Amino acid sequence: MTALLEVRQLTRTFGALAAVAGVSFSVRQGELVGLIGPNGAGKSTLYNLIAGAIAPTSGEIVFQDRPVAGWKPYQAARAGVARTFQIPKPYRHLSVLENVALSAMLHDRTVAAACESAQAILTDVGLADYVDAPVGNLTVGLLKRLEVARALALRPSLVLFDEIMAGLTPSEVRGMTNLVAGLPARGITVIWVEHVLYAIMKTAPRIMVLHRGELIADAAPEVLVKDPAVIKAYLGEEMSLA
Amino acid sequence: MDAAPLTSKRRTGRWRLLPERGTISLFELLLLAICLVLVAVPLPQYLQDVLIQTFLWAGLALAWNIAGGFAGLISFGHAAFFGIGAYTSSILAANYGLTPWIGLWIGGALAAAFGAVLTLVCARLRGPFFILSTLAAAEVVRIAALNWAALTGGAEGFSILPIASIANMVFESKTTYAALMLGYFLLIYVITKAVEGSRYGYYLFAARDDEEAASAAGVNPLLARTGAMCLSAFLAGIGGSLFAQYFLFLDPTHVISPELSFQFALLPALGGLGTAIGPVLGSFVITPLSELLRSYFGGAGAGLHLAIYGAVLVVVMLYFPSGIAGALQRLAERGRKGAP
Amino acid sequence: MVPCGIPTYAARVSNGTMTTVGQLVFSGLLIGGIYALMSIGLTLIFGVLRIVNFAHGEFLMVAMYGAWAMTRYLGLNPYYSIVAIVPAMFLFGIVVHRLIVMPALDKPHLVVVFATMGLSILMQNVALMALSADLQDVPPILGGRSFTFGPFYAKPELLIGFAVAVACTLGLRFMLQATYLGKAIRATVQDGEAAQLMGVPVPRIFLITFAAGSALVGLSACIMTPLFSVFPTVGLNFVLIAFVIVVLGGMGSIEGALLGGICIGIVQSLSSYYIAPAFGQMFFFMLFLLVMIFRPAGLLGRKGEATLGIND
Repeated sequence: MTALLEVRQLTRTFGALAAVAGVSFSVRQGELVGLIGPNGAGKSTLYNLIAGAIAPTSGEIVFQDRPVAGWKPYQAARAGVARTFQIPKPYRHLSVLENVALSAMLHDRTVAAACESAQAILTDVGLADYVDAPVGNLTVGLLKRLEVARALALRPSLVLFDEIMAGLTPSEVRGMTNLVAGLPARGITVIWVEHVLYAIMKTAPRIMVLHRGELIADAAPEVLVKDPAVIKAYLGEEMSLA
Repeated sequence: MDAAPLTSKRRTGRWRLLPERGTISLFELLLLAICLVLVAVPLPQYLQDVLIQTFLWAGLALAWNIAGGFAGLISFGHAAFFGIGAYTSSILAANYGLTPWIGLWIGGALAAAFGAVLTLVCARLRGPFFILSTLAAAEVVRIAALNWAALTGGAEGFSILPIASIANMVFESKTTYAALMLGYFLLIYVITKAVEGSRYGYYLFAARDDEEAASAAGVNPLLARTGAMCLSAFLAGIGGSLFAQYFLFLDPTHVISPELSFQFALLPALGGLGTAIGPVLGSFVITPLSELLRSYFGGAGAGLHLAIYGAVLVVVMLYFPSGIAGALQRLAERGRKGAP
Repeated sequence: MVPCGIPTYAARVSNGTMTTVGQLVFSGLLIGGIYALMSIGLTLIFGVLRIVNFAHGEFLMVAMYGAWAMTRYLGLNPYYSIVAIVPAMFLFGIVVHRLIVMPALDKPHLVVVFATMGLSILMQNVALMALSADLQDVPPILGGRSFTFGPFYAKPELLIGFAVAVACTLGLRFMLQATYLGKAIRATVQDGEAAQLMGVPVPRIFLITFAAGSALVGLSACIMTPLFSVFPTVGLNFVLIAFVIVVLGGMGSIEGALLGGICIGIVQSLSSYYIAPAFGQMFFFMLFLLVMIFRPAGLLGRKGEATLGIND
């Protein structure tokens, strides 16, 4: 089975600092993969590299058997790679509905059709009540959900979630976790950066750990919590997955 | 800033009172009716002049708005596009006998090309850097026109032969000119409304509001912006040609001036950036007002009307940044909330 | 607009091309320093407040009229009027900042652009209405003769102006490095939020910087009045030069403004003589556009700044 996304020896340096250093992994169609690591580990840079926001210094990125390193973000989106932003970036002068419809317009060629798609997705992520709200009124938690909605509206084959749980109440976390867990069944492959560990450890069957730009672990959560390197870098102490 | 966003509660099958994205409102129809009446009714020459200028500036302001309001490309150099259009059609008519009805498209195309080059060259610039670049570019065009006297007549100016005929696009009756300018303005208004409610329009708004997010959503921001500037420049260039046919005299100091460029930006800013009706309201309010001030105060008050513009612009920008259109919208919202 | 003095000096030199070029470069250097002095306020304001004051030229115009008036009606030499003009411009800066800049700072960027543009138009036309459009000149102060400076000639006003420009740049650099205010300003330039969290009174820094920028314009006006005529729209000519200098030198960089000014002065001096005075202006706009294309951050500016524009 060929990989949907394959990353080989991917490196990105800024001056003397290697934000991402020789990272290699592959993700198969239908997987749900977590990505954790301390702040400054290079997770955002890795996302930026995959999604085309920046170009690598060296290494390869292969998506759907095509080499795509250095592509532009809009090319990534059109190819089926969606991403959320850690700090939400809504379109301030458009309504919530229009924010999502904009993404839907990639596939829906009329504004009306895009709005319909957007309406459905907003209901999916639990933002149905806020459809007409001006974006300026939303809290961070709601904005993060808007980010998720916008990403899903692109009808991607691969989605990169960036800390979508921050600011959510426990019940909202449960709801969002269920949504994410259900995506592979809908044909959407997920890579998921998250700091809210209990959500990701219980949901993702496979987790990668990034530390100082390097991939130090890539295994199932049960194995990870016992890995001394991971504990040292991030967990602090042995974690129980009860 | 923009027209009221689309909501899920769009009442279908009912007329809107005030302008909204994607539909025609009663307000707009009323305005159209008034314009048609003003053209048809016999008015004194002086008022017809005001009408002609108002319609022309409504079109020019709408043209600017496509780049400045929709795409966020604030330009203080649009007079360059205006001038390129004006000079191109006039020079083609004078030297090659080409009728301005065709020449104006060529002028517009040339202006659009210039706009495309400018946008591509300044692709990475944002905010004040872009604005200053448009200023500099317009000055380059003005100085070039001033010094290339063989082509443009330089500082002495360029006269268009006042031989009235349809082929020459020179008319005896001011009513015909008023109709011409009204046609120009209406055409651009229709284009603006079409863009505003279209997928392309949304792509422009998104690229304007957050370029990175728009890019991640599949929008090619540079292409979208360049397209907007091309369209804006094209329409401004055509306006320049029409102006040349009406005014019958061109000179770089007045036609490609920073003052004129400022006017391009002032009208949409006062009327409401980013909406379709905003630039129209801006022109309908400011142009007659400026003529009034000019005639009332005469030569003694040289600059009074501009001083007032300046003061009004400061006040409006600080306290009513959405302009006249925004104020109307807020009134409407208050009305809607009050209604049972 | 051709500044007075430069073609005249080139014409006076008669000993062959090398000396002409040398003289042109020298004159260009001096006038460039003066242009730089006029631009330092603009670049400082951009560096700290991240706004472009489109009324910068009119601030200069007002201060020049002030200096001219003091000469005309009080018999005060423009160099002496510095004592009155600089504080007056400082106060003027405070007023404009409070009334126009501060309310615009938390709004979308185009608000401050249009507001300062509006102020510019307002000031130009009030001047046009209140004063005549005629050019006003100040009679030569220091005898009207040129000094010899090595192998070159220069008007004393040019030499003094250049000296003041250099002194100002050095003084500002010293102030920025060595005083608390200077450090606070540098902190605000680098990261306003962080600076505020560290106890820097950022709003007051904004106010002081804007007023100081205005005061610097006042200083340069006193230096420039003996060299240039003043009229209501004189600001427009100079503000475009100032924009080019600031962009060339790197927005926010004081030394950059000096360097940029000198470059512009020399380019203008040479092109006015060898090509044509009218094209002189076109040249530095093209230079401006070239800088924008290839190195938008300018000679000494921070890389990437122009592509980020303003934090909206």
